[in-house]
Amino acid sequence: MATLEVKDLHVEVKDDEQNKTQEILKGVNLTMKTGEIHAIMGPNGTGKSTLSQTIMGQPNYHVTQGDILLNGESILKMPVDERARKGLFLGMQYPAEIQGVTNAEFLRAAMNARRADDDQISVMAFLKELDKNLALLDMSESMTERYLNEGFSGGEKKRNEILQLLMIKPTFALLDEIDSGLDIDALKVVSKGVNSMRGDNFGSLIITHYQRLLNYIVPDVVHVMMGGRIVKTGGADLAKTLEKEGYAGLRDDLGLDVDLVDEN
Amino acid sequence: MEAVHDYTALKPELAAAANDHGEPKWVVDRRLAAIDDLADAALPEVNRFDIHRWPLTPAEPLAFSPSATDLAADVPVAADHVQIVQVGQTTVAVNLPADLADQGVILTDIFTAFREHPELTQPAFMTDIIKSNEDRLTSFHTAFLNAGVFLYVPQGVVIDAPIEIHLVQDSTQDDRPLVSHVLVIAGTDSHFAVTQHLTTQGDHANLASCVVEVRAQANSEVHFSSFDELGANTTTYLNRRANISRDATVDWAIGLMNDGDTFGDFDSELIGENSKSDAKVITLTGGRQRVGVNTRVTNRGKKSTGNILQRGVIMEKSTLIFNGIGHIIHGAAGANAEQENRVLMMSSKAHGDANPILLIDENDVLAGHAASVGQVDAKQMYYLMSRGITEPQAKRLVIRGFLSAVIQAIPAKDVRQNLTDTIERKLENGAEVE
Repeated sequence: MATLEVKDLHVEVKDDEQNKTQEILKGVNLTMKTGEIHAIMGPNGTGKSTLSQTIMGQPNYHVTQGDILLNGESILKMPVDERARKGLFLGMQYPAEIQGVTNAEFLRAAMNARRADDDQISVMAFLKELDKNLALLDMSESMTERYLNEGFSGGEKKRNEILQLLMIKPTFALLDEIDSGLDIDALKVVSKGVNSMRGDNFGSLIITHYQRLLNYIVPDVVHVMMGGRIVKTGGADLAKTLEKEGYAGLRDDLGLDVDLVDEN
Repeated sequence: MEAVHDYTALKPELAAAANDHGEPKWVVDRRLAAIDDLADAALPEVNRFDIHRWPLTPAEPLAFSPSATDLAADVPVAADHVQIVQVGQTTVAVNLPADLADQGVILTDIFTAFREHPELTQPAFMTDIIKSNEDRLTSFHTAFLNAGVFLYVPQGVVIDAPIEIHLVQDSTQDDRPLVSHVLVIAGTDSHFAVTQHLTTQGDHANLASCVVEVRAQANSEVHFSSFDELGANTTTYLNRRANISRDATVDWAIGLMNDGDTFGDFDSELIGENSKSDAKVITLTGGRQRVGVNTRVTNRGKKSTGNILQRGVIMEKSTLIFNGIGHIIHGAAGANAEQENRVLMMSSKAHGDANPILLIDENDVLAGHAASVGQVDAKQMYYLMSRGITEPQAKRLVIRGFLSAVIQAIPAKDVRQNLTDTIERKLENGAEVE
């Protein structure tokens, strides 16, 4: 069993244009284990994406206090690629487009990056795994010969993130708004992909605005984040309550002094 | 300043060498006129790049000498390819399928073409497309020409397979300048692709003066790709120009991978109405190499369309200057000219610049440009590394992507692969040194 622990995490982001730093995370605590699916819900601008990017190691986010531990080992000083090879994966909201590098070539490079030099995946084994996962995600084979995310629609990019998840098989997957911009059919396909990973050797932290995704990927734990902190943790039914009452309702119940970005 | 040579003193010797070589009188006359021009001609202008000290016009006497054909042993020769292979001044192989010869296609060495097809070569060679007296380098090229290829595709002929031109510079000895001319005439409604590959054998310091002229007649379509891999001790002058008639298209895909100092002058003259050109140039520089490129598109014809895309990666202590020159002549109403020049700096000791130069003398046009000199895209690096890919490998992938515009435009799969391999090798060499 693997664990991912976030302890009293404070994170600042520097805005280069205004040359100002702003504290986004103000003491986040979270512990998850493999075998569990956690969901983080919360209003816009509350730090959900910051949390996932900081765990992955995006260089624009600066940890000012607290720690992130993978199996008890601090990963704060590790570069992004090392964190990935240790088992972390971030399904991104806005994946980069890279011209001239095919999807297939990229996937092989990513899979081989975590294998020893004398144990690189064979072309046959790679293609077999690729075909299986393409079928699962209802993706066309031609997607693999296209350049990485280049000219992909929003939905295609999301599917491609999940394809990478299935090929790379990380220990912990952080999935940042993997449902945004998806129609209901695509949402089902993406959910099917994530659900296929469920098991004792996989844990996931799913970030979403909406409860809808959680109908398809039923979480074990739901966290609500507001104002840079986790303010409430519960079971799958917490998401349903939120859907009914809204974030403002929960805030008022908890007596929190937090501005909601989208509040009129 | 390069030493001032008394070229005129070379005239009798040059005329004798050309006559002994069996050249027609018009060729010899053109050489002698070029010698006269050479005395006063200036070097071509290259914005922010200095070639004055380069040995681009050595005063070696014109000499014809064969090269060992086994220097072309690496060149894949196959009977089912359309190809010509030359080592230095020696033609090693010509493969022209009978059906193409029957349709009137000519693929031969340039001196044979001067003798046997003067009606085609005399009006074109260094006269109409590039003028011999334009500058010191063009004059030198005409005067000291010692190798080359002539390709003629007659009216209406469509060739599916790319026509391969392999030129191997013989630098196994000193004083062996390669002054090579490729002349391409595309007849009306013809349609074909040329892939050129330049390499060097031997490591003696020599000049390569390699010029390509393309005349694209009405409604023809020519895709010209060149993979340039001349050696580290070769100082290279490249001049490639197309005159493009009504409704004709000439596309350039140039992978400039020379290891030595290189000046490139690439030009599309959009003469006819609705003519088109797409010029793509990529390069990767390392060591103390200096590379300067002028890529020019001149819109003369109404509704003509010209695009320039230049991308370069500079490593170590090298220098790269990309000048993109878009010139729209008065009267070229409805012309369209776009250009993009981008340079990636991989080393703080490298020097690079991307200069768009727009000269627009007509109001009714669409013109745009983009230029940048920068580092590897941080967002792309983060994405690749977030999948476990190491920083050096991620960098190579991003750079290959950055340079992919030209790789994709090359019609032959094996050439695409070779170019990709060369890029990888150069990137690895550059990374090791830093």
